[in-house]
Amino acid sequence: MATSNKPVDVAVIGSGPAGMAAAVVAGESGASVLLIDASGRAGGQFYRRPTNPLVPVAGRSLHKWALFDDLEVRAENLSRHGMLTTMRSTMVWSAEGTGPFQIQTRTNSRPPERLETVVATTLVIATGAFDRHLPFPGWELPGVMSCGAVQALVKGSGVLPGQRILVAGTGPILLAVAATVLEAGGSVAAVVEANSPERLLVRAHRLTGALDKSPDLARYIALLARHRVPYLRRHRVIAAQGKGQLDFVEVAKVDRDWHQTSEDSRVITCDVLAIGFGFTASTELLVQLNAEMCVSGDGGLAVNVDSHQGTSVVGVFACGETTGVGGADLALAEGMIAGASAAQKLGLASRLGRRELEVAKRRVRRLRNVADAFSSTFATHNGWTDQVGDNTTICRCEEVRAGTIRNAVDHLGAVDVRSVKLTTRAGMGWCQGRVCSYAINLMCSRKAVPTPEGQRDALLAAERRPMTAPVTLGTLAQHFAPGVEPPDC
Amino acid sequence: MAKETTISLTLDGIPLTAYPGQTLAAVLMSNGIRSWRTTRFEYQPRGVLCGIGVCFDCLITLNGMPNVRACTTEASNGDELNSQLGTGHGHFE
Repeated sequence: MATSNKPVDVAVIGSGPAGMAAAVVAGESGASVLLIDASGRAGGQFYRRPTNPLVPVAGRSLHKWALFDDLEVRAENLSRHGMLTTMRSTMVWSAEGTGPFQIQTRTNSRPPERLETVVATTLVIATGAFDRHLPFPGWELPGVMSCGAVQALVKGSGVLPGQRILVAGTGPILLAVAATVLEAGGSVAAVVEANSPERLLVRAHRLTGALDKSPDLARYIALLARHRVPYLRRHRVIAAQGKGQLDFVEVAKVDRDWHQTSEDSRVITCDVLAIGFGFTASTELLVQLNAEMCVSGDGGLAVNVDSHQGTSVVGVFACGETTGVGGADLALAEGMIAGASAAQKLGLASRLGRRELEVAKRRVRRLRNVADAFSSTFATHNGWTDQVGDNTTICRCEEVRAGTIRNAVDHLGAVDVRSVKLTTRAGMGWCQGRVCSYAINLMCSRKAVPTPEGQRDALLAAERRPMTAPVTLGTLAQHFAPGVEPPDC
Repeated sequence: MAKETTISLTLDGIPLTAYPGQTLAAVLMSNGIRSWRTTRFEYQPRGVLCGIGVCFDCLITLNGMPNVRACTTEASNGDELNSQLGTGHGHFE
């Protein structure tokens, strides 16, 4: 059994902006740090780059890249001095204990998978988020993909997924994806935004902290204008069509609740549809550790943290999207605080002085306000189910259609994601409900609107996963019972 | 911009070229292929959805091993890819 017996001071899970900042600050404060990341290269989703530096990178003009470059240089310096160890292409599939914490990892590169158990005195969870989905007819057609997929293909592999890309859903991510495609030399058919972005202005009093986001937004908008990309606000994709793969998309005008306002729809030809309806934070490790959770401003599950980024579990800190989706700037600020707090928990003097910490905390409060303003402006609304016929696929893994789920809710007494799962198999497949849980939860709450606690508990039940990444029984047996031969079958 | 020497792999015997460091999904899509799997029950075509290792929609058979995520696995020279039908364990059925 491959186990490192000597515990590390701090294990940081995830090396996006939050995890990287935490690892660097903790390491520079004198802690021994283990940084674990599922990817082959640090950066997370926002700062994704190819593992092969010779693949051309789009989006390098983002002003924030310099901040991450600086963290990487400092991390390399810590590695040279033996303060920071990095496990790349490694997923954590379980975290348990009350300190020290046991972390089970598996390799995330090509098979065969290998397991390793590591022990840490404190934990920093910075596992990020992935695109949230709302189903519509045809969303399972090849060519329909998440905004994050387009970003990853272009930023990580220098590949445009199609000749003509339509970007739809809601939120500033749509502009970011369109800009990525344009900068990589691709063609954007249109940007289809279901909400009214101008409503952000109503919340202008909460946006003073957004000033450092505005250069990005201004650049995106200028780029779209220069390429004459149509921007359709308060429009929504009502169906994707094609024979075996995506050929065209039907788009219609919608009202504030996303109900179609007229029978008319327009057809847009495209070979890729990039969709984004916000993000779901990867909080299952925090749920495994029994940290206190809450419903975030965007309606997703998040972990409760204090101003030191401490969770309700002593020795476990969280930063970035797991504390409520808020973007890379917020993640960087929270990561620095989490790194300093983990060091202080170990009795070390934090590298960040009191003043620097206060500045970071103020920044977190400001950016959290911005995130909340964005969440309410770009929220999802009820009308999304209008075109979801009983035949529309909801759970892609187990191929469970809307009619089956509606039947479970209306006639079989299913009240939440978990009971829908038990009655229909929705959410029981490969992705473990990560893709469909949000939609199913909304389909359940239509009948009886849950209390805030009920909402949290429903999300929590769906997020309770004994293993957060699949591991084969054979690999588990080899790791935990080495030398025992499996029977022939 | 000059890239490193290309590598060669195949999908169902058809030759593909790629750059080292690209993911299998990126290689397939840059060769104009959007789907390489059918589902277990209805045999519906699927390709990339999340693109970051979460959804398992892009599963592919890599060098005889089924259920490998094309979006997170980097291509290697000489890789033999096969479209995956259903569970990918066809030989057990």
